Amino acid sequence: MTRWGMVIDLERCTGCGACMAACHQENNLAAVGEEECARDRGFYWLRLLRQVSGSGSNLTVRYLPQLCVQCDDPPCVKVCPVHATYLGEEGIVGQIYSRCIGCRYCMAACPYNAKVFNWYAPDRPGELERGVNPDVSLRPKGVVEKCTFCHHRIVKAREEARIAGRELQDGDVIPACAESCPAQAIEFGDLEDPDSRVSRLAHSSRAFQLLHDLGTAPKVYYLAEMERGRDEA
Amino acid sequence: MASRGVPRWIFYLQVASMLWMWVFVLGISGWIIHLLGLSRRLHDVPSASVGISIVAIPVFLMGAAILTYVFVGLQRGRKAEGEHER
Amino acid sequence: MKPDAEFEDTDLLRSIEESGVGFRVASSLLMLVILGAWVIFSRQILQGLGVTGLNQPVAWGFYIVNFVFFIGISHAGTLISAILRLSQAEWRRPITRMAEVITVVVLAIGGFHPVLDLGRPERMLNIFTAGRLQSPLLWDVSSITAYFMASTVYLYIPMIPDIALLRDRGTRPRWLYTFLAWGWQGTPRQHAVLERAVSILMVLVIPIAVSVHTVISYIFAMTLQPGWHSTIFGPYFVVGAIFSGIAALLMVMIVLRRIFHLERYLKQIHFDYLSRLLLIMSLLWFYFTFSEYLTAFFGSEPSEMRVFFYKVTGPYAPFFWGMVICNFVIPVIILSFRRTRTIPGIFIASILVVIGMWLERLNIVVPSLANPRLELATGYYIPSLVEWAMFAGGIATFILGFVVFARFFPLISVWEIQEGRELSVAETSERLESYLPDPAPASSSTVEGGG
Repeated sequence: MTRWGMVIDLERCTGCGACMAACHQENNLAAVGEEECARDRGFYWLRLLRQVSGSGSNLTVRYLPQLCVQCDDPPCVKVCPVHATYLGEEGIVGQIYSRCIGCRYCMAACPYNAKVFNWYAPDRPGELERGVNPDVSLRPKGVVEKCTFCHHRIVKAREEARIAGRELQDGDVIPACAESCPAQAIEFGDLEDPDSRVSRLAHSSRAFQLLHDLGTAPKVYYLAEMERGRDEA
Repeated sequence: MASRGVPRWIFYLQVASMLWMWVFVLGISGWIIHLLGLSRRLHDVPSASVGISIVAIPVFLMGAAILTYVFVGLQRGRKAEGEHER
Repeated sequence: MKPDAEFEDTDLLRSIEESGVGFRVASSLLMLVILGAWVIFSRQILQGLGVTGLNQPVAWGFYIVNFVFFIGISHAGTLISAILRLSQAEWRRPITRMAEVITVVVLAIGGFHPVLDLGRPERMLNIFTAGRLQSPLLWDVSSITAYFMASTVYLYIPMIPDIALLRDRGTRPRWLYTFLAWGWQGTPRQHAVLERAVSILMVLVIPIAVSVHTVISYIFAMTLQPGWHSTIFGPYFVVGAIFSGIAALLMVMIVLRRIFHLERYLKQIHFDYLSRLLLIMSLLWFYFTFSEYLTAFFGSEPSEMRVFFYKVTGPYAPFFWGMVICNFVIPVIILSFRRTRTIPGIFIASILVVIGMWLERLNIVVPSLANPRLELATGYYIPSLVEWAMFAGGIATFILGFVVFARFFPLISVWEIQEGRELSVAETSERLESYLPDPAPASSSTVEGGG
């Protein structure tokens, strides 16, 4: 059985933010505007956590692209009152937009704050309206959403493989963030396949998971920067 | 209007409200059982669902039973026509 | 109950039989406030939850705070009324009716608040078709519904003899009282039925009431968030609920006593006893709060400590210390000394406790959300006009509930006061005598002198 996972190499990540922009475009994320962002309503499925340390010439800035880590024991699924968020068969934590009642319990329960809410009806001014991706459903106001590991791309890749008469291979599915990263810091694939890149990287000695000891069993692994060695979670 | 002998239409209204109360309570019990079935189909943790059903359904049924007991008891405890108070 | 004997308690019926301008003015004003709140709320319905002060990561705010707050107050009624009845405390007689009304009104208001908080309230029925019993919110729905049903029944059944009294006096609307009186005539058989039903209910209602607030606490405790994931939450919330409930009951009693001139019935001793209960609950509340915060502080876990300092020294310090002062410092001072335990003093203490308990709900909901584990910047929350408006609307609804109730039904249980006069004095003396030692067995040998 396929279990989709992701590995992000922090040594390669430059914090350019291309992944954020690609994700916004690919998944029809609403543009909330400057005012809303100032009210702490920034809207993203993937965000760059930034840690600044030191000062002056010793200033270092570290970036960590953080998205829904697709837990295998998801706290959000446990608390949803209407089964709008659920753990799919292939390990992706899905969201049924048409059933979500907008109670935001999953948002309160997620230790990673991976879920975002449509506080207003989503706005797509100007070009964004025309550039909507037809493969991804549009969400109404009042529902919760989050990263889906570009599930629509998985479906598409499966279709193409079926037409070509072959199995899905490692590297067939590339989410938008992975595709756009100029440093190729993001890898995506099947964690159950021992030969896939993600499988091998996830077993690397540099690999760690965010908030590992909470027992959420995330499927997004990070490779620690080499100068620091093992990172604190 | 004397206090003995409730007008017929009020009595029917009272009985109707009792029936309506039972519809409500049986409806809630049925709903909880429906959710119990749903949780089994979705392979949810059984303990929570079963626990709630075991506790909540008897509570609702008891409440309805007590109300019915009081209503029926009050009707039966009325003085018959012509009988004097104790 | 002797319907034909001179009826000493006619002033208990004054609010019903002599209601006039006062009632109409009060209810109109309150309905205006409520209407205003809903008009302001329509902005949220039309535009979305964006009109509130909620944001990322503080996804819950006033609506959830008020939800917990109002349901907490519901423990006033039924729990106090049930426990006092169960322990045969005779001083409960003028209190139980008001307490039970508080519970019913406040449960309706509080139970509705989560609906106000929904992003898509029209989909609320999904709870019925696709609800998951695994979610603490569903536990909530079940237990609050059960409690609402039980407390409504528990309010209504002991009201039947009073409703029959109003029916017999010909109070309008006649059909309403006849309908609700269920043919009550005061016969011994009917009394037996009523007493049995009430005694079953007063036992049944207590575990339901305890479960309600425990289950509400589980909404928070079952998540992994720092400051929430604590085993003490169940008992802590129940204690806090009883605490705020007694304070609300005292407030209501003092206000209604003044407005409806119930000084003959609600005497100093009633307030004395209840305020002692309030004092005990304040100490108990402090004990739980102290345990909770000491445990967090001693463990020094980083994410817990961020929440801790946010409350103790950070942006929420005024609310946190305000809570401690309102819930513990001032009430304990006022209520410990007889000189300050006067009715005005008790009123002040009760108001402070109600405010303090509201602050406690705020201190539980927001800081944990504002200090998530991964966030490198702390969140904040400033409630908006819509949320304040609905808060005011909730309070206005509470007051309106009482105004309407007092218009149609007696605030103090007339028949139970009458029963107290006729039966309880004898019953209680008998009971007290049974506590005293039994007479010594008559000895067959030596005889003592006479008497």
